[in-house]
Amino acid sequence: MKRLVAFLVGVSFLMLGLTTSFAKDKIVIGFTMSQTGKLNAESAEQYRGLLLWQKWVNSQGGIYVKALKKKLPVKFVYYDDESSKDRVQQLYVRLISKDKADFLISPYSSGLTASAAVIAEQYGKIMMATGAASDSIFNKGYMHVFQIYTPASRYLTGALDLLKAVDPKAKKVAIVYEQSNFAKAVATAAKKYAEKHGFKVVLFESYAKGTTDFTSFLNKIAAKRPDAIIGGGHFADGETFARQIFEQRIKVKLVSLLVAPAVPKFAEIGKAALYVTAPSQWEPKAKYTEASAKKLGISWYGPTASWFVKTYEKEYKEAPGYHAAGGFIAGLVLQKAIEDAGCLDAEKVRKALEKMDIMTFYGRIKFETGKYYGRQIGHDMVYLQWQEKGGKLVKEVVWPEHAASARLVYPYYKKY
Amino acid sequence: MKKGYSLFWLIPLLVAISAYPVVTRSVIARESVFLILMYVTLAASLNIILGYTGYVSFGHIVFYGIGGYTAFYLMYKFGVHLIPAMLAGGVASALVALAVGEAVLRLRGAIFAIATIGVNEAIKSLVTNLAFLGGATGLFFNFKIYRSYGGAAKAIWFAYYLMAAVTIVTVVVSYFIKNSKFGLGLFSIREDEDAAAVLGVDTKRFKSLAYAFSAFFPGLVGAIFFFKAGNIEPDDAFHLIKSIEMIFMVMLGGYGTVSGPVIGAVIYERLKGILLVNPLFKNLHMAIAGFVLLLIVLFAPGGIVGLLRERFKKLRGVLE
Repeated sequence: MKRLVAFLVGVSFLMLGLTTSFAKDKIVIGFTMSQTGKLNAESAEQYRGLLLWQKWVNSQGGIYVKALKKKLPVKFVYYDDESSKDRVQQLYVRLISKDKADFLISPYSSGLTASAAVIAEQYGKIMMATGAASDSIFNKGYMHVFQIYTPASRYLTGALDLLKAVDPKAKKVAIVYEQSNFAKAVATAAKKYAEKHGFKVVLFESYAKGTTDFTSFLNKIAAKRPDAIIGGGHFADGETFARQIFEQRIKVKLVSLLVAPAVPKFAEIGKAALYVTAPSQWEPKAKYTEASAKKLGISWYGPTASWFVKTYEKEYKEAPGYHAAGGFIAGLVLQKAIEDAGCLDAEKVRKALEKMDIMTFYGRIKFETGKYYGRQIGHDMVYLQWQEKGGKLVKEVVWPEHAASARLVYPYYKKY
Repeated sequence: MKKGYSLFWLIPLLVAISAYPVVTRSVIARESVFLILMYVTLAASLNIILGYTGYVSFGHIVFYGIGGYTAFYLMYKFGVHLIPAMLAGGVASALVALAVGEAVLRLRGAIFAIATIGVNEAIKSLVTNLAFLGGATGLFFNFKIYRSYGGAAKAIWFAYYLMAAVTIVTVVVSYFIKNSKFGLGLFSIREDEDAAAVLGVDTKRFKSLAYAFSAFFPGLVGAIFFFKAGNIEPDDAFHLIKSIEMIFMVMLGGYGTVSGPVIGAVIYERLKGILLVNPLFKNLHMAIAGFVLLLIVLFAPGGIVGLLRERFKKLRGVLE
């Protein structure tokens, strides 16, 4: 008798287990984030963006899956990768095989994303790569990794387009960049682009990390008389560079630097910050709207920028940067792809991503399907410029035209 | 020196640990055990120069990076198979150790430790500026590279088996070094280098050899790790924190012993691994790991093995 009861209980448990595993009641999205280590700040912001997307989509009941004829809420599973490659693969294997993640979001940074990509590809899981701007991942035969950021190869090229649009006669460019992984990739790509588009690169030099004195570079720049200075690297060096360009009164028409001018703290150098431009993946002021989508003949998807900025500020008591927007959009694009595919099958979602061409508050999203499969080709960097409004320094978006919130003040030396 | 029996239980233990994921076909276990084996190898090889010879090689991770880069480049550029590429990586690391050792092994104590950090940073900057090694962004494998191993899934299993083999070889070698005349020479250098020289130990040659041995195995590990990771960049290959972790593991288990680094590495990796995926502790794992390490270093300077040997005299034969 006891045995029979035990047997029946066992069988019923088994059936319970089976039914729960068959009835899909949520979409599990797995990722790692850098809760510790050097990438913590950026990764945490990206996570806050993702979290906001989850709240947004779940408040509507989840993502509509046509094949199941219902909306499924989104569940996140995530671990700390310590900003280190050691555990990324271990944790992604765990996310896929133990936590049964249906879809993946990449870790922050290109290096960690590349390691996670090996696992995602091996298991045929879709991974949205956000916070990873390298081009190198995307000509390597991965068929399941899709990039949200504008890649490094197009980071500073917009500055040249901007220069060409505002002053077609300006031809001489000086590229001075920090000797760091990212800045180097960006600068090399910008040089190639400049030469291809009829610019003359009069100076192409790198400076060591932590440089505080740019005199020798500025002397060379002054001698070559370029129309534009582009380059930079991180915050501290970029800020110093901008300050010394101003102090030496270099007569240049456009200054466009990586990273530093995009950080609000850049305003602390006062007048030296004025009219400096910088590329950014996204800015709260970027005006991507349904109207700009219509102009391009593509469809609009998701909430508006003002909703995002307002809700984010309410939730986290700070203004969102592009890392946060990148997180939100990674979720949003995945949501759109699942809705388009009408099911959770990775291959069908992949096909939907291939076909995708939409406008969101973050800009246009379209993926390359050729040699650099999965690379972002729709999205453009926006260029911000520090301008003066009512005696205060403010960031305005000046490029591309359809996202601009103000006109570019040109030339840079106007302020001297 | 009386030979101990530690290999009699260490090897079966390592074989059992390595076999576990294979028997259960659990990829999650494989990933964890892969890291355990990697840490064991790194700790055991560092122990040769740190524990046996008494030279604190603070920037020891440099050899992991050199091996990783050498092998990765060979595989990336010339499509060399992982095994020869890995051996080339190990040899490159050992050769660099011999060359660098000429200079830095003349230094002692803290100065030596600082010099090894310098070596790590110097090579990192060098690699960062070499365009053919991908500069600061590093190199990325094409996913197709795994095809010649029967696909990525099989390639990762292959990397795993190789790591298990390398670990066992490293522990066996470290055992034989300790119980050889060479090892005795190293221990005499550790206790009093000048006295050892006076007694006829060729300290210069011994130190160089010990340094080369302790560099060879991290070179192999780097090759396997970056093969599996699919990309390599200077920040990961020459990561100073990992160097410090290696020293922690050796100190935790008991420096100068054969089993110490193995025990230290297993415990350290498990501790970190468990804390990392625990919802309660995942934000605190670094703090907790640090605190536990502090306690051990403060109250058991000889590490776990040292503590056990002191308490249980009978264990001395098997714990060495």
